[in-house]
Amino acid sequence: MASPAKKKQATALKSGIRANDDIGEDVRLALFRSQFEIRQLEKRAYDMFLQNMVKGTSHLAIGQEAIAAGFAVAMHADDYTFCTYRGHAHTLARGVSMSGILGELMGRECGLLGGKGGSMHLTSVEHGAMGSYAIIGSHLTIAVGAAWSAKYRGTDQVTVCFFGDGTTNIGAFHEAINLAAVWKLPVVFVCENNLYMEYTAIGDVTAVEHPAADRASAYGLEPIIVDGNDADAVYRVAQTAFARARGGEGPSLIEAKTYRHGGHSRADPGTYRPKEEVEAWLKRDPIPMYRQRLIDFGIAEEVIDTMQADIDNAVDQATDVAKASSAPSLDVIETDLWADGSSSWRN
Amino acid sequence: MDVVMPQLGETVAEGTVMVWHKKVGERVEADELLFEVGTDKVETEIPSVVSGVLAEIFVAEGETVDVGTCLAVIDDGKLKPEGSAPRAKKDKTASAAPAVAVSAGRTENSVPRDKSLSPVVRKLLSEHGIDAGEIRGGGDGGRITRRDVMSYVEASGGDVSQTDSARDDGTQVIPFSRHRKLTAEHMVRSKATSAHVLQAVEVDFHHVDEVRDAKQAGWRAKEGFVLTYLPFIAKAVCQAMNDFPHLNAHVDGDSLVVHESVHLAIAVDLNFEGLVTPVIRDANLKSIAELARCIHDVAARARDRKLVPDELSGATYTLSNSGSFGTLITAPIISQPQVAILSIDGVTKRPVVVTGAKGDEIGIRPIGILAQSFDHRAVDGAYSAAFLRKIKEILESQDWLAELI
Amino acid sequence: MAELTYREAVAAAIAQEMARDERVVFLGEDIAGAGGVFKSTVGLLDKFGPERVRNTPISEQAILGAAMGAAMTGLRPIAEIMFSDFFAVCWDIIANEIAKVRYMTNGQVTMPLVVRTANGGGSRFGAQHSQSVENWAMAVPGLKVVAPSNSADVFGLLAAAIRDPDPVIFFEHKSLYATKGEVPDGEHVDTIGTAKILREGTDVTILALAAMVPKALQAAERLASEDGVSAMVVDVRSLVPLDTQTILAAVQKTGRLVTVEENPRLCGWGAEIVSIVADECFHDLDGPIVRITTPHIPLPSADNLEDATLPNVERIVATIRARID
Repeated sequence: MASPAKKKQATALKSGIRANDDIGEDVRLALFRSQFEIRQLEKRAYDMFLQNMVKGTSHLAIGQEAIAAGFAVAMHADDYTFCTYRGHAHTLARGVSMSGILGELMGRECGLLGGKGGSMHLTSVEHGAMGSYAIIGSHLTIAVGAAWSAKYRGTDQVTVCFFGDGTTNIGAFHEAINLAAVWKLPVVFVCENNLYMEYTAIGDVTAVEHPAADRASAYGLEPIIVDGNDADAVYRVAQTAFARARGGEGPSLIEAKTYRHGGHSRADPGTYRPKEEVEAWLKRDPIPMYRQRLIDFGIAEEVIDTMQADIDNAVDQATDVAKASSAPSLDVIETDLWADGSSSWRN
Repeated sequence: MDVVMPQLGETVAEGTVMVWHKKVGERVEADELLFEVGTDKVETEIPSVVSGVLAEIFVAEGETVDVGTCLAVIDDGKLKPEGSAPRAKKDKTASAAPAVAVSAGRTENSVPRDKSLSPVVRKLLSEHGIDAGEIRGGGDGGRITRRDVMSYVEASGGDVSQTDSARDDGTQVIPFSRHRKLTAEHMVRSKATSAHVLQAVEVDFHHVDEVRDAKQAGWRAKEGFVLTYLPFIAKAVCQAMNDFPHLNAHVDGDSLVVHESVHLAIAVDLNFEGLVTPVIRDANLKSIAELARCIHDVAARARDRKLVPDELSGATYTLSNSGSFGTLITAPIISQPQVAILSIDGVTKRPVVVTGAKGDEIGIRPIGILAQSFDHRAVDGAYSAAFLRKIKEILESQDWLAELI
Repeated sequence: MAELTYREAVAAAIAQEMARDERVVFLGEDIAGAGGVFKSTVGLLDKFGPERVRNTPISEQAILGAAMGAAMTGLRPIAEIMFSDFFAVCWDIIANEIAKVRYMTNGQVTMPLVVRTANGGGSRFGAQHSQSVENWAMAVPGLKVVAPSNSADVFGLLAAAIRDPDPVIFFEHKSLYATKGEVPDGEHVDTIGTAKILREGTDVTILALAAMVPKALQAAERLASEDGVSAMVVDVRSLVPLDTQTILAAVQKTGRLVTVEENPRLCGWGAEIVSIVADECFHDLDGPIVRITTPHIPLPSADNLEDATLPNVERIVATIRARID
């Protein structure tokens, strides 16, 4: 934290802005921390992939950090999140260890799933991260179930479900939102519209302009569009949706506009996107934008630098831990199919 | 039109297809000769009932099936009747189901038509030491079923399950144990198969006795059993086989199959309850000491009923030893499919003429008769006689001391 | 003992378990006020109210997804998929999600749910509403598969399925709903993974499932009285877990095995069991193993066509006569 003297000076400079600030310094710092952690972890995952230490496929969310961060900071610890295979960000944002995530990507014993699930299935039930799902659309229906469960049990838990623009055209999307609306369930559907469904522009395959927001009315919901690169904007939209859900008013469908810096997956260099488009969005990179926002709100740069350095250290340490961890024992192969830990289908 | 096995007599339950007079695809007219069938009483020619083309034959020549079994099908141009012959070999399903459903019932594997042994039958035959040929098959096409084997086993019983019974006139009826039955069948079959000729030599065992006396104490101490005449005789037989290999053979049709190795069977009596002949494989490669040990070992294990199946088969020549009873001579029965067997009887001290430096004298020597039954299909008397002479020479003049070091 | 129809037994079992454990909830199409299209869930809405017995839109994926999400977060849901044919509509949730998520998450996730469905033919509903698809479920690791043949079993096994901590795909047979049977009084819970010998015999072992069980029993009666053949009939009841020991012992006793399967021929449930027998019971077999199945075609709808296509008593008897000696 900044010294009292510097703090006072900052306050004096930006008092006008601060006076109207509904978010507050602590939350802002949390938002930045979350976004930066995600950014650094994803970059490390990318580096590890280039070094052939992360295998298979990996879907990185570089450029889309503000959405995961914005919602995560606005959530309660016992809320549920469901995300897609591009889920490292959302999983990390719930407080899951970096070494657990990197370890899983590297197929090590210390991995979050013991090496049995992989990059696309990151789950930590204890953190409320109820899974990353690799079949487009299915987890929207599952999120509905978690929301139903919370409502049935009478808790105020909210379920947040993240998915991409491509999901809005699959059957499960429609089934899930319809059921959530009919049953008035406390679930927040968040469409991260990064303009591309895998390698195709979403506009080419969707009957409406805003793939999620323009469908909301079909389910009796309000269209909500937010700048997905502005963590503050995301945070505010999240708060509104959560209040609605916890108040028993039912689901929300939010379309967050954003852009991914890399391709769809590690295998994709993303050359199908127009150069000007990429450049324009890179100028709106959420991380430098939010760093500047913090400075504008009077937070000392040393504070931010220290935070960044801490996070870099944490990423390095997590990398070391993951590298030092061995491959999982072959003994785990036939375990945990059933609740009793076995996989036996016969006597 | 199904062609079925006819009942050629009121008490006849099955028949054997002897000859098919038509081939599959051939046309046959009504009343034309189609096949010949044989039962245990009679052989008969069977004409075709309808005109048509012989579409399929299910039962081949030489096969025996129950009366009523479908043997073949003649395509006489008429629709197949609703019912089909019972126990048909083709997977015909019964009346009510139409064609579509029938295809579901037809399976990929068909009923075996030869007398192949099912896995469980093979297992049971092996466990009970029964030969498949001993059992009459009651399944489809004469197949030996599990039930057949179990019935046979129960009927034959073990040595204990059969009970003797006494009759009113004082005679006693002792049912044959399975072992007795098997022995009886084998012996009769052997006599019916081989042209047995008995030929014998007298052997002077004094030289063998000298060696035995010299070595006995040390041998007994080291090996734990007595060195008898048997290993010497076994060794002599194996050696003699080198010059007379045709006695280490079996007859196969019109050929004599001569074996390279001598696998020597030693007949062992099991306390008057049965005879067993364990085999010493490659006896010709063994030294006399090894032969002695092998003989002792198999005999002991035979009496303890601890022989393994491999040890009871594959013999090429047999030694039968009645010596301990002091018999004079025995005309043994050849163990099929071998072509000869040697009986060793008592060795007793007799007065004999001994030719020495001073001319002929009377001496006392241990004399024993070795008697060989040989199969005259395989060899003639001169060959057998020469073989026996060779054995005698070896026994009477070999440097046994050198061999027993 | 009470005499209940198969459908009454379904409702009674669900009621027993819902009364016992308030975490048990039930969702599906037309299951609440209407009591289900097969009238198998009559009375549950009245007993347990609309929060626990919920009608859904026609949204099979959402029905099963919701059941899965609820099972992951502390509830014990029962989901109905009206016709088992509709599994094809929501197969992703069954095969890719429900079956796999515990394994993929290294045991973190709980999945105590039951998917019940009306399976099988014989009701003239045509090819898309008459399939027997228990073999589809058997083929996916991570699903327990149950298919009862009578009222007592459907009651006891459904109760057991609801109490099971793992996902159970519960195949009721639509043509058995009207059949009656004695059901024990009081709390009744059976054991999943156990087969039952319904008829002792010495000449041949017949394995059957669901609606094929009564047919196998009738065939065995006829074989006994008409051919003097003594047939053992085993109701498999559970495909996963499979009561292999009972089945192997039954084959060892008779030496011959016949399966009667309603599913189409290829990769039917009997094919798997037969392969296990061929591997582990080879030396006890007195002859080839025979499978009696529906042919490998969709089911025709006309009365006589459907009756002739599904394995019937006549075909079972004829096949055993022809193949077992």
